[in-house]
Amino acid sequence: METGKEELRIGVFVCHCGFNVGGVINVPAVVECAKTLPNVVCAEEDLYMCSSAGLSLLKERIKKYNLNRVVVASCTPATHEPLFRKACEEAGLNKYLFEMVNIREHSSWVHMHQPKEATEKAKDLIRMAVAKASYLEPLIEPELEINRSALVVGGGIAGMTAAVSLARQGFSVHLVEKEAELGGMLRYLYKLQPTGRDASEILRKAVTVVKAHGNIRLHTSTLVQEVEGFFGNFDVRLQKKYSSELEQINVGTIIVATGAEEFKPMRMYRYKENENVVTQLELEQLLKKDALKKPKKVVMIQCVGAREKTGRTYCSRICCMVALNNALLLKKLHPTVEICILFRDLQTYGENEDFYHEARKRFIDFIRYDPDEPPKVTLKPDGKLTVTVYDAYLEAEIEIDSDLVVLSTPLVQHDDGRKLSSILKVPLGSDGFFFEAHPKLKPVEFSSEGIYVCGTAHGPKDVTESIAQACAAASRAAIPMAVGKVKAEAVKASVDKDICVNCDACEVSCIFNAIDALPFGLPNVIEANCKGCGVCAAECPMGAMQLRHFKDQQIVAAIEALLKPKKLVSFGGSFEPIILCFACQWCSYAAADLAGVSRIQYPSNVRILRVPCSGRVDVLYVVEAFLNGADGVIITGCLIGDCHYIDGNLKAKSRVDVMKKSLTALGVDPERLEIGFASSSEGQKFASMMTDFVEKIKRLGPNPLRVKEGGD
Amino acid sequence: MHKIVTKRELVSHINLFEFSAKEIAAKTKPGQFVILKVDEKGERIPLTVAGADVKKGTITVVCHEVGKTTRQLGSLKEGDCILDLLGLLGKPAEIGKFGTVLCVGGGVMVAPLHFQAKAFRETGNVVIGVIGARTENQLIFEGEMREVCNELYVATDDGTKGHKGLDFLRDLFKERRIDRVVAVGPIVMMKTVSELTRPFGIPTIVNLIPIMVDGMGMCGACRVTVGGKTMFACVDGPDFDGHQVDFEELTARLKMYAPQEKLAFVFHEKGERSL
Repeated sequence: METGKEELRIGVFVCHCGFNVGGVINVPAVVECAKTLPNVVCAEEDLYMCSSAGLSLLKERIKKYNLNRVVVASCTPATHEPLFRKACEEAGLNKYLFEMVNIREHSSWVHMHQPKEATEKAKDLIRMAVAKASYLEPLIEPELEINRSALVVGGGIAGMTAAVSLARQGFSVHLVEKEAELGGMLRYLYKLQPTGRDASEILRKAVTVVKAHGNIRLHTSTLVQEVEGFFGNFDVRLQKKYSSELEQINVGTIIVATGAEEFKPMRMYRYKENENVVTQLELEQLLKKDALKKPKKVVMIQCVGAREKTGRTYCSRICCMVALNNALLLKKLHPTVEICILFRDLQTYGENEDFYHEARKRFIDFIRYDPDEPPKVTLKPDGKLTVTVYDAYLEAEIEIDSDLVVLSTPLVQHDDGRKLSSILKVPLGSDGFFFEAHPKLKPVEFSSEGIYVCGTAHGPKDVTESIAQACAAASRAAIPMAVGKVKAEAVKASVDKDICVNCDACEVSCIFNAIDALPFGLPNVIEANCKGCGVCAAECPMGAMQLRHFKDQQIVAAIEALLKPKKLVSFGGSFEPIILCFACQWCSYAAADLAGVSRIQYPSNVRILRVPCSGRVDVLYVVEAFLNGADGVIITGCLIGDCHYIDGNLKAKSRVDVMKKSLTALGVDPERLEIGFASSSEGQKFASMMTDFVEKIKRLGPNPLRVKEGGD
Repeated sequence: MHKIVTKRELVSHINLFEFSAKEIAAKTKPGQFVILKVDEKGERIPLTVAGADVKKGTITVVCHEVGKTTRQLGSLKEGDCILDLLGLLGKPAEIGKFGTVLCVGGGVMVAPLHFQAKAFRETGNVVIGVIGARTENQLIFEGEMREVCNELYVATDDGTKGHKGLDFLRDLFKERRIDRVVAVGPIVMMKTVSELTRPFGIPTIVNLIPIMVDGMGMCGACRVTVGGKTMFACVDGPDFDGHQVDFEELTARLKMYAPQEKLAFVFHEKGERSL
């Protein structure tokens, strides 16, 4: 045993959760079963383990029985693990010697009408947890100092807002802007909705505040050239444009507010061929400078270069409002001007709807066009423009003579944003914008700790939204800086240098650059950069690289504990397959929880084993599972593109593809292995995946490696 | 069929083999490699030769158990046979009279380096040896290297023996005139040595064994980029100018079949115990 000679003393506590667990699962029977498991010296039940009475019982039993491992079978660790871990710590037990079993969301709530099966499942899940607990090791969470200063990249309205917010909270801020002047996109905008105020007025006020604040150091005409170090202690090299001047600064946190640029629709709708074809932003420039000749007939075309079938598939969110706003401004300026907006779908959510009604009142025309038959802009011999559009409602082609065509184009990522993404090693989404760690739980953070995002760098937004998001990013960045130090995760990779064969697989597989290979090939884990996904451990051919708290022996012990007692298969009666499901601790585990919360029933054959990331699932586990008689193995992870470790789920998928080709060598049908993806909001999808997989395995029959009863 | 005349465990999971291969032994030169196949369904693996005995008619290879095939090889005993031994492959190392030659070897590759170091010494060069490993108990051929080198340095990644890492070489390059550097070992070691010699302009030769199939220039699996040009390690190498090699690409290409390799190894290990 890893922890040496120490005698294992495991305590198991099963929670009734009132009627939630106890109403379905036979808790006393589960407790009796737990008592028979290896090294279990105490197994008890309680009505509510999370109540103060329950926690007192836990602490009291740890002391009374001198427990050195604790397993609680109750609800989801997502909500209650911290509570039980804290109780263990209070009783003098390292919190990593605690293991949690989810018999509510993953059993009693999803098998409400199958008390017998739900009870058996609960026993199995506890078997697995007790086996894993036997191999758990105490871990220490290192403390990191946080430099109380921030770098804000980008001096647009989002960057300025974030910088001022942090400065006012007493932190020193380096605000870096690539242009000579602050303001970003706001410098080019004209009137802002819903107030109709001048953008320049808002800009002037914001710039004054930034420049006057003593905590803000402004670096204009400056680019971020290099970033090294980690959360709390980033070394940043700034490069002054048009000069070789370099400056080195150190900051604790970084906010990305680099904005976006307007897509220039080259070779579309005669843009740049004719001066009367302009983009919305160019129109605002003309209005701002009062340089627009009074037009008679204006045509605006929406979704130019946006919502395409490939490439820029996204909706730019703000263009419908921008078009309405500019159309109303033109009407106000020149009441006789005729305006026609050609749209695909008008998206004027919330109060913006009022502007649409206002536009209709002012006789602005709206014509819906079909993206398969987009409008055409032609040049007549007299130099005038004609827009031809197929009106989907009239089912007829319409020609509109026009002296000004305005194209609504999406916001897009710019080169400097893409460069910064690779400098900071933070991801861009498929739309090219910066990609947050989690759309709901970490909406302004990256998965690399200490780096945040706001404004249009993150995706198209209006000024109001950019300001709100900047405030959010600043407040999130302020948390670690206010505390001054953070406890780093203890779940990190570590290498056994005696087993390692210096093959580099771990270094190559780490997307966070947390592994450096030393000259003779020994991997050096940079703990501050390690996120604890375990992809490197799964890639290590020798098992030399391991992820603490999710080591091979810990996981294999759980797999064996589940399957070994069931290797004997009986062919009497109906076949009930045993299915092992690996669930990543983020989305797919949460989806399974949501299926429970929503009481979506699915077959009870599935046993869920939590792993940090689907990318942690080692081919060894799958082989072990099948050799020990699993009838099916399903690996579940976050949706492709949503992995909390960027591409762990893709690595899992490619491993599954490889394994499927080879499983026949073991005598196992490749159909017994599957990978599925679900977001945390897809409880129904998770349940359906499980139902379908169980059905499929039922059709396939038992794993041929299971020993037949009475035979050999 | 080629008989294992000698098998000796140097350190845990690193074995020295002498295979009977009379024709190959007669022509073996340092820097070249052979491709062997353990059995009929076996994978072909390239191994750099670490010596030959013309009288006995044997060649020497030292092999680290890093996966299925090398583990299979490691389980064979003296007197057992392997099915095929193909060689010699690749160009021999250039063993000229250069003056002072620094020979850097890492891990299992210290053995073939020793073969070269010996040849350099016999040709009249002053040979400075540097050998290393991840950790002390993985170090091989220290005695053999001491015999053929004028002086020998030892290094480990974790500092359990000798110098910690290779940074000490920088001082050596500042103080001594070194005419040629030969680096044979893990890719990261060859890359590190090449980066250390670059500012001093010392010609640096590295020995590359990427993924190979035929070893005779037909399949292209072993392609490496050297000085922007595509080369085949099997016929254009395995020795190349370390300052010109694209090591990043080489590392990535070597990992191309990592999941398959791991799965084969797990099957092999589990097969022995459970199947």
